[in-house]
Amino acid sequence: MARTRSKGGPASTSADKTASTTAKAASTSTYTLPAESTNPPKLFVLPKNTSSSVRIITLENPRYGNPTRYLVCPETGSFYEFTKAAPPNKSTPRSWLLSSEKSEKEPALESQTIQSPDLYLATPYDPLFLLLPALFKSSSNSKSDNQQRQYLSLDDYLDLIPNTDRHFSEILTLPNSRIEKVLEARLASVCDLVEMGDDKMYRPNESKLSTIILSKASKMAENLPPSMEEKFIKKALEAPVMGVVKDQPPPPPPPPTTSTSSPEETASPSASESQSTVTTSSGTTPSTAVTTPATEEAPEPTFAPAITASPATISLQRLRTSLNFILSSYLPPFLSKTVLSSLPSETFTELEEYLTKLSKLRTEAAASRNIDINGGKRARDEDDDERLEKKRKMEQEEKVKKANTSRGVKQLAKVNTAGMMKLSAFFKKA
Amino acid sequence: MLEARLDTANLFKSAVDAIKDLVQDCNFDCNDSGIALQAMDNSHVALVSMMLKAEAFSPFRCDRNIALGVNLTSLTKVLRAAGRDDTLTLKAEDAPDVLNLVFEATAQDRISEYDLKLMDIDQEHLGIPDTEYAATISMPSAEFKRITTDLMAMSESVTIEATKDGVKFSSTGDIGNGSITLRQHTPVDKPNEAVEIELSESVALTFSLKYLTNFCKAQPLSNQVKLCLSAEVPLMVEYGLEGGSYLRFYLAPKIGDEE
Repeated sequence: MARTRSKGGPASTSADKTASTTAKAASTSTYTLPAESTNPPKLFVLPKNTSSSVRIITLENPRYGNPTRYLVCPETGSFYEFTKAAPPNKSTPRSWLLSSEKSEKEPALESQTIQSPDLYLATPYDPLFLLLPALFKSSSNSKSDNQQRQYLSLDDYLDLIPNTDRHFSEILTLPNSRIEKVLEARLASVCDLVEMGDDKMYRPNESKLSTIILSKASKMAENLPPSMEEKFIKKALEAPVMGVVKDQPPPPPPPPTTSTSSPEETASPSASESQSTVTTSSGTTPSTAVTTPATEEAPEPTFAPAITASPATISLQRLRTSLNFILSSYLPPFLSKTVLSSLPSETFTELEEYLTKLSKLRTEAAASRNIDINGGKRARDEDDDERLEKKRKMEQEEKVKKANTSRGVKQLAKVNTAGMMKLSAFFKKA
Repeated sequence: MLEARLDTANLFKSAVDAIKDLVQDCNFDCNDSGIALQAMDNSHVALVSMMLKAEAFSPFRCDRNIALGVNLTSLTKVLRAAGRDDTLTLKAEDAPDVLNLVFEATAQDRISEYDLKLMDIDQEHLGIPDTEYAATISMPSAEFKRITTDLMAMSESVTIEATKDGVKFSSTGDIGNGSITLRQHTPVDKPNEAVEIELSESVALTFSLKYLTNFCKAQPLSNQVKLCLSAEVPLMVEYGLEGGSYLRFYLAPKIGDEE
């Protein structure tokens, strides 16, 4: 105890010193910390190759309909969404300590701590998602198919995008803005196109949309983060272990590379736009950094699962997981159903078959486990003995009871009491 | 600790004899006011309620509330060993396993002592309200016993009809019908044979004769029996004892199912 205390002494004084220096800078009083800022700075990881015209705008989230901030670079026409990375364990207090190296270009920032341990990552975002509600909204009400939809110009669609804060229209009109061009290209990818003179008219096409979503999903499936791989692929396809099997089971399929890229990245329009900053930040992304990759788990030496998923099944499960992720995070709810239903029906047949087999095996395994708990035959024989003995005892007790019953009581048992109410109907329980 | 001494075992013998034909096991609830018992038959249409007040015993001592769970058939067997005029002493510990019974024949200086094993009985206890009955009939207990026995020959049930003229017991069965009517009369020289009817309203109710004959086994307890009736409530048959002690039977009337 004493040692720790003596050690703690100098440490605390040094802390006091730093505190006092910062305090001096902030106020005249010597030994108090500066007041906490009401609007503390937040830590962002921003893309590198953006121009100075980059800005943060508020748009309606296409999935949830709430206002959400996006980072937009008008010169490259790229959109970024913000992903908040919070520490996995809330109970451990964490903060940021920021200090800047001296550089000639920028003035050195004053060192500071930020109480909130959150980190905001700007990750590339496909502006197509922003267009989707406007594109398909009109059609969702009247259950029209492609033929009945109208051809509209890009401007018409852009007008349909909710623009309450006028942020969207502002970035469209910025000088050197490539936004409109990018949006047009994304629009064209999900629409039928008709050219009328100089005007291009677009009509949304659901099958095109599902093709695009599916390709996004397959791209994401190639590179699932280990945490998702563990939870949605390995756990979901794991068959119960049944008995001892002589030969070694085939090693689990090679998991995706250990890159911890967030799924949002795969959803980005092109790989070239993925940012170096994202890669540098990947180590700090807690959700992915904490889980161990699937490869590290050695296969069980003597027990083998009853069935193992074929590589095709595994990749299908990956695809479905990715698809569900995209559908449930980026698409408006009504569109998710449309996309799912317009997928070719046989896409997941193999996976479905495997899953039904698996659920059957699982119930069987659960049942056999119950039998195991009940024990073997010998235990059951003992149970029978016990039951017989109980029966004998019961019979004996009954005999004693009968012997202890008076004739009067026995005769009363034969009395027809129909039409006679029970006494508890007249007298209440005390 | 319970200790209760009766001058004659007869009272307790007769009471237990009457109850044992209605219920199998029941609790004797002992407290400082006396020994009480309440139990229903298996069909829950009849109830017996006994109260032996502390004054009926000499001496009576009960420090703590004790419930003595007794099989009445077994108790009857033990009581059979007691002579009619023996003194009977009941004894039990505070948390008893056994009920100790001592019979003393004072004339022969004979003392017999029995321990009866007790049992745990879960019993629901009903609260019986004080009721103003429409008709209260007092009659010799032997007369009531005779009526029930006679009418048993005709039917399983009896209709008791109380009017200001008298009380009529009638039964209708396969072989015919029969009825007995008692008029109010109070002979001065033989008060035990008096028939008294207190009536605020005429009533007629039907009861199971088998239960009534069962109740009549308490006849040795008292010369007079009291029948109390009101429409749509259970009949009360009371055998009054000295000093406010009593043995009461309640029986649900038969409704709608008249033979």
